Amino acid sequence: MALIQVENVTFTYRVLRNRTGSIKELFRDLVHGRVRITNYVALKNVSFTVERGEVFAILGRNGAGKSTLLKVLAQVLPPTSGKTIVNGSIAPMIELGAGFHPEMTGAENVLFYSALMGRNIKSVRARTGAIGDWAGVTDHMDFPLRAFSSGMVARLAFSTATDVQPDILLIDEILSVGDAEFKAKSKNRLISLIHGGAAAILVSHDMNAVRELATRAMWLDAGEVKMMGSAADVVAAYEASQA
Amino acid sequence: MLTSFILWIVFSTIFASRLPNGQRFAPYLMAGILLNTFFSQGLVQSAESIASNGGVLTKIYVKPQIFAISSALAALVNFFIGMIPLTIVATISGQQIAWTFPLVFIVGFFMVLLVAGLGLSLSILFIRFDDTRNIVNVLLLILMYLTPIFYPISVLSPRMQSIVRLNPMTSFLDCFRWAFSNNAVSTPRDWIYIALSGLLSIWMGTYLFKKFWPRTVAML
Repeated sequence: MALIQVENVTFTYRVLRNRTGSIKELFRDLVHGRVRITNYVALKNVSFTVERGEVFAILGRNGAGKSTLLKVLAQVLPPTSGKTIVNGSIAPMIELGAGFHPEMTGAENVLFYSALMGRNIKSVRARTGAIGDWAGVTDHMDFPLRAFSSGMVARLAFSTATDVQPDILLIDEILSVGDAEFKAKSKNRLISLIHGGAAAILVSHDMNAVRELATRAMWLDAGEVKMMGSAADVVAAYEASQA
Repeated sequence: MLTSFILWIVFSTIFASRLPNGQRFAPYLMAGILLNTFFSQGLVQSAESIASNGGVLTKIYVKPQIFAISSALAALVNFFIGMIPLTIVATISGQQIAWTFPLVFIVGFFMVLLVAGLGLSLSILFIRFDDTRNIVNVLLLILMYLTPIFYPISVLSPRMQSIVRLNPMTSFLDCFRWAFSNNAVSTPRDWIYIALSGLLSIWMGTYLFKKFWPRTVAML
């Protein structure tokens, strides 16, 4: 059985015309009979499957629906029609540091983020020190996050997010953060996570990384699947269209 | 606290004599303000919590209802903390904490259901429309005047009394004041009414939220 099965997923954003952002304006527009709703279709009938052991890349221009697709897979957005079946624990790394709070200390943030990800709090508490060490912010762990530099926040977020090996990893861009040394370190860890898990889905504009890591790829264009196949073929076709 | 003090100075001269024998105005007023703060702040915070945590909700899968319920529970904690000064004021006014005190927990429980349910229903509107907060604040102000917080219900005309009796907050207040220091009269109708309004609110809130959330999440 496929690890991830996506069947005919369509996702529509409903957009109110006239940018109705308040009840007052909505009332005014209702009186004048000017409420119009347009549907913006971000994904059209997307179907694919990801098997165990695959690294699946999603390519496409900005606004092609890649991030929407990742959010649908992460169960954050419910698809308008169609369905997704995911067999296994899924770890979305769509944006680092989502859920971090500036007033909480580094250690508290690590616990809070892990709780959001549904990890076992007891085992995370034991790992907190190691997570801080890896990020190189050990001496800051008991300070509130607002005392961290932005690079330190990013490193801590990366270290926390990648501490546990998930079955399925969703990555929006190869998230390398910090200085050159940390970049290399984080890239290595991510690559080992990608290969260590059952499968990974990655969205990237970095064609070299895709060629290097992915086994299969899909090219999204304006919400539709334009091409699907081995990573090398799809990347070649995509690059040709860009030139 | 300071609000209580000002309102006490202003209204004690007007309304204190209208309270039945054995009831004291200072704890009456303070209990009213305490419970009303629990309601209005809890409601606004629980409705806002989902909109303000949109950044998390669109990145990581977490049940959004958790935010609304935890805000309501936070308001409950504040409510219990506020009972410490209330106890002092009641003691100074010559009252004792009634043996019915444990029933306060029941009032708190149904209040959390009421607040979380209404907060969930409103959260959808908070996400879609920026001015919902202002409108809700005006409605809360009207509701506050329709609740016997700083006046005894007996000062109203019989017609107004029957309207104010329809407000669940009136029953919540009667139950709370009675259970806390026997500073009001609560009837079985009041207890049934708070239970029903709490349960109805949480049922309606979860239902409406489930129905509209899929269409609303994309707006975060």
